[in-house]
Amino acid sequence: MKIHTRKFGEIEIDEQDILFMPQGLAGFSEYKRFVLIQEPETDPLCWFQSVEEPNLSLVIMDPLIFKQDYTIDGASVIREMKWENISENELLIYVVVNIFASQNSDRKITANLAGPLVINPENHQAIQVIVPNPDYSCQYDILTPETPESEELAKSG
Amino acid sequence: MLVLTRKVEEKIQIGEQIVVSVLGIDSSTVKIGIEAPKDVRIFRWELYEQIQMENRESSKKQVEDVTQAAEWLKKHYSRK
Repeated sequence: MKIHTRKFGEIEIDEQDILFMPQGLAGFSEYKRFVLIQEPETDPLCWFQSVEEPNLSLVIMDPLIFKQDYTIDGASVIREMKWENISENELLIYVVVNIFASQNSDRKITANLAGPLVINPENHQAIQVIVPNPDYSCQYDILTPETPESEELAKSG
Repeated sequence: MLVLTRKVEEKIQIGEQIVVSVLGIDSSTVKIGIEAPKDVRIFRWELYEQIQMENRESSKKQVEDVTQAAEWLKKHYSRK
């Protein structure tokens, strides 16, 4: 089927790839159907595009690329969503990304670790969960990790 | 909005399954206890507000900004 997007114009998607969000996204609860768009030019960033609203398209990425110890309580998500026949480690987890660029070459990319998207690839449902963990910032700086030294140590050790 | 005045240790019943209790007051801080079923999601309003804001801002990004950011990310993480 064809869908309209502000960023990519009209695109063709496979209906089977549509992800249903029973509760919608925070701030956009009226939109329930999304597709994940991956483009080679923007990899590792991808797009969480609303099927219904062309203007709604979040930038998301896999948090494990920049934070290897990122975890959420997948079991409670499975329980809350009443998902069956899926285990915690089969869930796909993405975080919402923001980009701040200014003329004076300050570059900043942040990820919202407190509001990840959890996708069930088995039944094509998704939810944005809220993780009230004080260590998980809504604007975690991806380009300058808080503890680069310890990560280096962990790698070399 | 419904406005109720409650004293310390008094409660509010919301529907069948949710009870909100005022546990204590200390100058401008109120300590609240909430009893609710496990599947009711409860969090500080500010956190939800910020997650909404991050969603809204992320959705405003242009393809060029994201392509540029992807370049930065690739550079940053290939150096490690």
